Amino acid sequence: MEPKILTASNLRKTYGKQTALDDVSLTLEPGHIYGLIGRNGAGKTTLLAGLTAQIPLDSGEVCYDGTPVWENETALGELCFSRELGGKLAASIAGMHVKDYLRAGRLFYPHWDEAYARELIKQFGLEEKKRLNALSKGMMSAVAIVLALASRAPVTMMDEPTAGLDVVAREDFYRLLLEDYAATGRTFVISTHILEEASTVFDRVLIVKEGRLIEDRDADALLAQFCVVSGRDDVVAAACEGYAVLRTETLGRQTMCTVRAPAGAVAARGLDVDCGAVTLQQVFVALCGHEQEGR
Amino acid sequence: MRNEQTLIYLQIAQMLEDGILRGIYPEETQVPSTNELARTLRINPATGAKGLNLLAEDGILYKRRGLGMFVAPGAAERIRAKRRSEFLQQYVRPLAAEARKLGLTAEELQAMLRDACEEEE
Repeated sequence: MEPKILTASNLRKTYGKQTALDDVSLTLEPGHIYGLIGRNGAGKTTLLAGLTAQIPLDSGEVCYDGTPVWENETALGELCFSRELGGKLAASIAGMHVKDYLRAGRLFYPHWDEAYARELIKQFGLEEKKRLNALSKGMMSAVAIVLALASRAPVTMMDEPTAGLDVVAREDFYRLLLEDYAATGRTFVISTHILEEASTVFDRVLIVKEGRLIEDRDADALLAQFCVVSGRDDVVAAACEGYAVLRTETLGRQTMCTVRAPAGAVAARGLDVDCGAVTLQQVFVALCGHEQEGR
Repeated sequence: MRNEQTLIYLQIAQMLEDGILRGIYPEETQVPSTNELARTLRINPATGAKGLNLLAEDGILYKRRGLGMFVAPGAAERIRAKRRSEFLQQYVRPLAAEARKLGLTAEELQAMLRDACEEEE
């Protein structure tokens, strides 16, 4: 089953006085791995739930292959949202056995691949007879991962799939994800704030901040827009003149600025500064960190 | 002045070029596919493809339909020529800038280079 385009227009969602989604519009093109990045409480989970019609929105519309998804069983079978299982589980699922939680996936997703689910369960060492609330953090993450991958849904969204996993298991997860992606070309949206291992896996990046989508771009194109300029404070200031400085760190008279400017453009000014490329993590911190004084 | 490259697809391209120069991938042999690169290096297949396509554009790799990417005849020489043309900008200019920062004279730098070249031989 080929993935189709998912479009969201002007999504808005409030919880009481708090705005969780503020006029979010986006298009998920088929066959990419999107990284959904944002700080805790930025609206990542609400966005994923909204895109898969698991919560009512105040306004806006989500369409899959041109058809609204709300109460549209056919479309929803194509869209998987595997919720993060962690912290305090909802009462409706806390006492559920792993086996029954995954059986729900089998019933709900028409492309469910039972043989693949078996293989993944074995790989993660999941005990299916256990109740969800008796699982360790790592095993809860594993359940959410098995549900997402084995759903074989053409568009699959995972909320913080690696949050409970240790480093080794995180690497295993990304390897499994890439293997499945190479074999199927499904569209994935992966929310995370653990970027070390994730950044090389995403080819598109969505950044949410305070309910708004502030970046929606090809990952390389995003990184190419930024650089880190370091050197003596006044020379750095001159080198960055006219560009948006997002983050400034000082070490004595030495200054390091994360700037929204291509490294080549700053270097071309010929000043005595070092221009380095940035990592996705640095871009994220620069865009979503605390506001800087100054420019 | 330093200008580091951390874009993954450029790193992939450079890694493969180094492999060709070292003789790991002789002419007319196959280089890893996008999926092999993705699996082994844990990167998005599109990133691997971008690196491979960059080398194809430079005539270092070529595509055999249905089989994958292969090392083009004369690839190693082409890589050397390309890197020679970048050598001044990539290595010599930063070297001269660092020497100036340290107060080394042109003569001192030349002497060091001569010694280093002799050691390499």
